[in-house]
Amino acid sequence: MRIGLFVTCLVDAMRPSIGFASVSLLEAAGCEVTIPDTQTCCGQPGFNSGDRPSGIQLGLAFLRDFEGFDAIVAPSGSCIGMIHDYPTLFKDDLALQARLNVLTAKCYELTDFLVNHAPKPLSPGRLSMTVSYHDSCTGLRQLEIKSQPRFLLQQTQGVELREMKDAEICCGFGGSFSIKLGDIATQMADKKCAHALETGCDAIVGGDLGCLLNIEGRLRRRGDPHTQVKHVAELLAESLVNPQLEKS
Amino acid sequence: MSARDRILERVRAGLKRPTPVSVARPDRSLAPMARPVSHLLNDFIARAESLQSTVAQVANLNAVPAAVAEYLQAQGLPRKSVIWPSLKALDWFSSGLTAEARPPVSEDRLGITETFCGIAETGTLLLHSGVDHFSTTSLLPETHIAILRVDRLVERMEQAFALMQSELDQLPRATNFISGPSRTADIEQTIVIGAHGPRRVHIILVG
Amino acid sequence: MKIRSEQFKGNVRKQLADEALQSNLSRFGGGFADRRRDALVKVDDFEALRDRGASIRAEVLENLDYWLLKFEAEAQRRGTQVHWAETGAEANQILLNIARNAGVQRVVKSKSMVSEESGLNEVLTEAGMTVTETDLGEYILQLANEPPSHIIAPAIHKSRDEVSALFEKHHGTPRTDDIPSLCEEARGQLRPHFLAADMGVSGGNFLIAETGSVTIVTNEGNGRMVTTLPRVHVAMTGIEKVLPTLEDLSAILRLLPRSATGQDITNYVSILTGVRDEGAMDGPQENHVILVDNGRSRLLGGDLHDALRCIRCGACMNHCPVYQNIGGHAYGWVYPGPIGAILTPAFLGLEKALDLPQASTLCAACEVVCPVRIPLPDLMRVLREKELTQGLRPWHERLSIRLWRWLALHPGWYAFAARWGTRLLRGMAGSDRLLHTLPGLDGWTEGRDMPAPQGETFRDQWRKKQAAERKIIPIRLDPSPSEKKAGLKK
Repeated sequence: MRIGLFVTCLVDAMRPSIGFASVSLLEAAGCEVTIPDTQTCCGQPGFNSGDRPSGIQLGLAFLRDFEGFDAIVAPSGSCIGMIHDYPTLFKDDLALQARLNVLTAKCYELTDFLVNHAPKPLSPGRLSMTVSYHDSCTGLRQLEIKSQPRFLLQQTQGVELREMKDAEICCGFGGSFSIKLGDIATQMADKKCAHALETGCDAIVGGDLGCLLNIEGRLRRRGDPHTQVKHVAELLAESLVNPQLEKS
Repeated sequence: MSARDRILERVRAGLKRPTPVSVARPDRSLAPMARPVSHLLNDFIARAESLQSTVAQVANLNAVPAAVAEYLQAQGLPRKSVIWPSLKALDWFSSGLTAEARPPVSEDRLGITETFCGIAETGTLLLHSGVDHFSTTSLLPETHIAILRVDRLVERMEQAFALMQSELDQLPRATNFISGPSRTADIEQTIVIGAHGPRRVHIILVG
Repeated sequence: MKIRSEQFKGNVRKQLADEALQSNLSRFGGGFADRRRDALVKVDDFEALRDRGASIRAEVLENLDYWLLKFEAEAQRRGTQVHWAETGAEANQILLNIARNAGVQRVVKSKSMVSEESGLNEVLTEAGMTVTETDLGEYILQLANEPPSHIIAPAIHKSRDEVSALFEKHHGTPRTDDIPSLCEEARGQLRPHFLAADMGVSGGNFLIAETGSVTIVTNEGNGRMVTTLPRVHVAMTGIEKVLPTLEDLSAILRLLPRSATGQDITNYVSILTGVRDEGAMDGPQENHVILVDNGRSRLLGGDLHDALRCIRCGACMNHCPVYQNIGGHAYGWVYPGPIGAILTPAFLGLEKALDLPQASTLCAACEVVCPVRIPLPDLMRVLREKELTQGLRPWHERLSIRLWRWLALHPGWYAFAARWGTRLLRGMAGSDRLLHTLPGLDGWTEGRDMPAPQGETFRDQWRKKQAAERKIIPIRLDPSPSEKKAGLKK
């Protein structure tokens, strides 16, 4: 299966390890991974700020970069959500809309792909930590990403998943919202941190880097240098290094 | 041009057409219910009780005054009531009750009414206004006792409307669906029973 | 109502710093959402109910003029007088004339958000009448001289202590922390007002076209009092509130209370049709309905059309994390939360509420609970688009969006900018690999650090890795041959 990996602009700039982790996981799940070099951003930052051309033009660029693959995967529910909205932006061009419909039908969030669509099931390895999973909004509500990351974490030997209160409530990132209305965003992030820390977890885990930067940014400002804030792909890829032990 | 004309003109302009002469509604089945009713009587009782109504059942209308007396006794309430004129014929006196067939004043503490029908879907009473059906009887007194014939139970709200349509000349001035005693949660989201209307709704099922 | 939506950011700062408010919000804010969730456990297929509700409301809007005229004809046939008002001020004037003609002195009101839009109470008071709000929440706010902060629980921002202090001040009663006692006190205070009033003013949850009826949904019973006891009743409601039939009302009533308060049904649903019957002992002798436009008709057929489906349940604000942190007053007008972020700019004009459509993370918690499936995040995005295209956003925001879009469409330049941008950020970060300040991004760094980029960009690292594995891909600044080849052929 030929997979086009959409790295996402945030991962590219801020945390490449999520991109490399995604590659390892996809390869472990039997995929041949290609990373088109001309990819940039899905267009969501502009589109959500009211710049419709961002969505339209970057939708076309995405089509150019990814149309030829068997499936397209991104380590972000948010970006895949935006991509799934592309066809609605081309209501006046039915031929193009049809092509985009075909394309978006094979675009998947990473954990969803690994659990439900990969050529062979991923067998996570072993780690030793407790984690709490934060559900990112677009993934959760538009793509129904809820059980998939949890399933993979539970498959990982030595990982204990503890649910936080209000895991489904937004962390306050919201793209430009987190800057325009930073005081509200900070308070939302603060509540998210508090709920996560109540579980006593070693790491707050999520599937979208935007949320993770927001949560980690608030956590560090609160003076917590220890609690890790990780993308689920990073944890799973780290676990692959340690094969599971036979249960005695 | 009047405000009416200008508003309607904007509506037409927005919808980009003149006002249609008639509008065909899509032909479709009855709206889904939230919870199906499997047993008219049992579901009515269970759902009425879940809304803090209390329910008693008697065999026939003549047994109502005794059931009222029993309820008042248990609640420690005075045996004085205002009733709808249609209930005048019942023998209240033998059960130690006084029952005045008049509209209530604010000081009256017990109002007894009949019920047009009961709706099992939500455990709701349907009462309507009329010359002899004072709306205030189920509103001003702190206790409302509603007499409901079991054969007047329907499954869902649409059936209650259909029943009104078939039995009444026109929709009465006030059609009141009553589901338990009045309540408020306006202070700290705490539910308190007994806001402006009755504090107690007691349903006596007959049949 | 006084418009404060222009000062949204200032309002937010004030609300976030208000410790009492923050404590009240975090203690009671989640109550409705919990109750809704519990109520839905007992429902077979809520999505099917939502489908029906959404389609009924959409159908009404498609033929709003037809249904309004039908309502008017039926209402008039039953002796109800129907008035039309283009603005809130006009609605107030109509109501004032009704009151004067009927010699009204004392007015009791049940909750009407439209009368909040129009600021009715001040107008009646200035005309020398006494106006008493009778919904407990509204009564508390009338004593406090505050606007509502929620459309179904107007005083949700107040604690029992604050209520008790108000009652002490206005009723001269001793303080109590017992909520039932406070409710009892309000009952005792308000009963004489109901009995003495000449006129009752209510809102109208729904208008029924086929019967010419006004439907009022309440729990406290005040709606019944206001529409039964005084000799004049006036319902003031928005033109979009019409439903074709009683059957439609049945379907909508399965959604409204469950979505609002998590009740299977509200205590009272009153369907009011015409005036007191000949020979009857109760009910108003005069019945009026004022159909208020106040900006609504402009939305029909436009890109905010779907917002008019709203049945005012409040579920969107109950589930909105932004609302739950700032409370309703921050939004600065009658309707707070996600629906307010749409209706306020839509009714008042975008320039009066520029920050409201921005006050959302587009998390869609509102959209998934809306009983009539209003695509709230999409509508907020529509308003953001209008702000941008009408030049209503600050110049630096407009410039940065255009610059960002240009970069994103030019992969080579984009890679270049990302490479140098991340290098710069890494250089600025301290030994803790955190950025504590970022020029131009104070909004972020005032409350949060920014984790520094990890290292080289992913694509630079990937390219090097590929090269090391002898799969050399040249670094490009121009569109690649493959990019040109794959150029879009429609």
